[in-house]
Amino acid sequence: MLEANGLMVFYENMLALNNVSIRCDENQIVGVFGANSAGKSTLMYTLSGIIEDIRKKEEMAGGERISVLGNITYLGNEIMGLKPSKRAKNGIVLCPERRRIFKECNVLENLRIGGYLATPAQAKDTLEYVFKVFPALEKLQKRIGGFLSGGEQQMLAIGRALMAQPKLLLLDEPLLGLSPLMQVVLVRATKEIRDEKGVSIIITEQYARPVLPIVDYAFILENGAAVLEGTRDELMNNPDVRSAYFGI
Amino acid sequence: MKESTGQRRKERLDRGIKVRSEGLYALMSWRELSYLFFPRLVLIGGILILPLVVPSMYWQRVISIVCIYALLALSFDFLAHYVGLVSLGGAFFIGTGGYLAAILNTSFGLPPLLTIPIATLLGAFICTLLLFPCLPLRGVYFAIVTLMYPLLLARVIEALDILGGTDGILGIESFANRWVEQYFIILIVLFFLFGTRRLVNQDIGLVFRAVKDNDQSVRASGISITYYKTIAVFISSAIGCLAGAYLVHLYMWAGLSTFALDFSILPIAATVIGGAGTLVGPVLGAFILVPISELLRAFGTLRIVFYALILLAFIIFRSEGIMVYGQRKYHQFEKWIKV
Repeated sequence: MLEANGLMVFYENMLALNNVSIRCDENQIVGVFGANSAGKSTLMYTLSGIIEDIRKKEEMAGGERISVLGNITYLGNEIMGLKPSKRAKNGIVLCPERRRIFKECNVLENLRIGGYLATPAQAKDTLEYVFKVFPALEKLQKRIGGFLSGGEQQMLAIGRALMAQPKLLLLDEPLLGLSPLMQVVLVRATKEIRDEKGVSIIITEQYARPVLPIVDYAFILENGAAVLEGTRDELMNNPDVRSAYFGI
Repeated sequence: MKESTGQRRKERLDRGIKVRSEGLYALMSWRELSYLFFPRLVLIGGILILPLVVPSMYWQRVISIVCIYALLALSFDFLAHYVGLVSLGGAFFIGTGGYLAAILNTSFGLPPLLTIPIATLLGAFICTLLLFPCLPLRGVYFAIVTLMYPLLLARVIEALDILGGTDGILGIESFANRWVEQYFIILIVLFFLFGTRRLVNQDIGLVFRAVKDNDQSVRASGISITYYKTIAVFISSAIGCLAGAYLVHLYMWAGLSTFALDFSILPIAATVIGGAGTLVGPVLGAFILVPISELLRAFGTLRIVFYALILLAFIIFRSEGIMVYGQRKYHQFEKWIKV
């Protein structure tokens, strides 16, 4: 479905992604694991095209020069250099790190903004679906986004991303700062979304253990390079990975 | 890097001489010393020579006006990009300083040598006092308040017919001769330019920038942000009031037009063109914008059209500002490398 080859991203002279190649097949959940500064968020920005936006802003402000190299093939088309809005139209939807919900809109409004790309019928269906996957949100419809708890905000962010009718959903650290209980809820919901909607998902996380049960394939990033990859079982049996990312 | 992919990117590196001259080694070689001092000397020398090389008295007067705008732009840049208070108070500062100097000169008979410093300090005190209740405001709210004061004061003077009413205060003493007039303001501009540059690099400047970045964290560190904002507003309004006091002595007249909106808006344009947050950029911006506006007088009513087009072009094609661009070219070089 999506195949990225030789991705390299430089922030000025700092190498954030070094020759990273990842792929995600139809209806797969792919995990990307790595510590802080491993390049997870940069990878997500690059795949979703947000990096093009950041690059342009930096250029206008006379800041750092960001160079993006490599190629990304999505459904047979080269999408490198495409604007983020175009990519979202094609079905690559990012659910950004730290949620970035619209803090002054209520839950329903947040979801409706997310549904900008959907037809009214799709939006209606997806809205119902979001409330089915996250029943907690249904009662909070009129609540202002900024006053939700972290977990609720994350549910909202994922719901908003779903409203854009993704074919490939990019979840950037969805479990950041959440209680173990909430993590379980979200991980279960992620799997449900894949199974029921047929959406491919790329999920990044620092700590692999909560997410690992649902991923089909995983990559491990270290200092901007993909050092290891494999199926869930292969990684589970690798002693280095076990100690570094699963804490076993 | 693992292997070459045949792709290229542009690499940007600091020049060796910049890295060397940042350390103590600058003292070791003339080349590195001159690398540091050359741009500054060009600036200082250029500004000092300017009154001697311009063709006419008219252009000498333009230089004085440029310097007034340069001071205002400096005060705007300092307040907006180092303390985070976007101030449209140029007109407020000019008006306050100007009227104070006028009153001191006409009613108390003090010479310009005394009225200007007194008006500067007293004016800054009054401005700070009036702005003090608005200090918790940020962004556009603070801007609106600073914009309202000059309008308010102008109408008060007009309605109550005090301080000369709509005629203004006439018969203010001028400077001894035009050289004093020129070099006085030029030296002032240079003094405040290097003074604020030094200020923002000191501890107090660090606090200022921290207030701009995240005032909650500054408060959490046990620092009173109101205190520091007050100091910053005082410095900034002192610069503005000084320009105002000079202006009325230059025109020998203080009137309602000292509260004109030009004094609030043009410094912002100068800051945008020169490069926000560089302090020297806004001064250069004023040295570019005001003469352009004078040159365009030949076009009559179309003047504003061309002026606006030049500004737009700058903002669209060089939105980083001249100084940011210039500093980058001076300190860094670029080359294509294979990755």
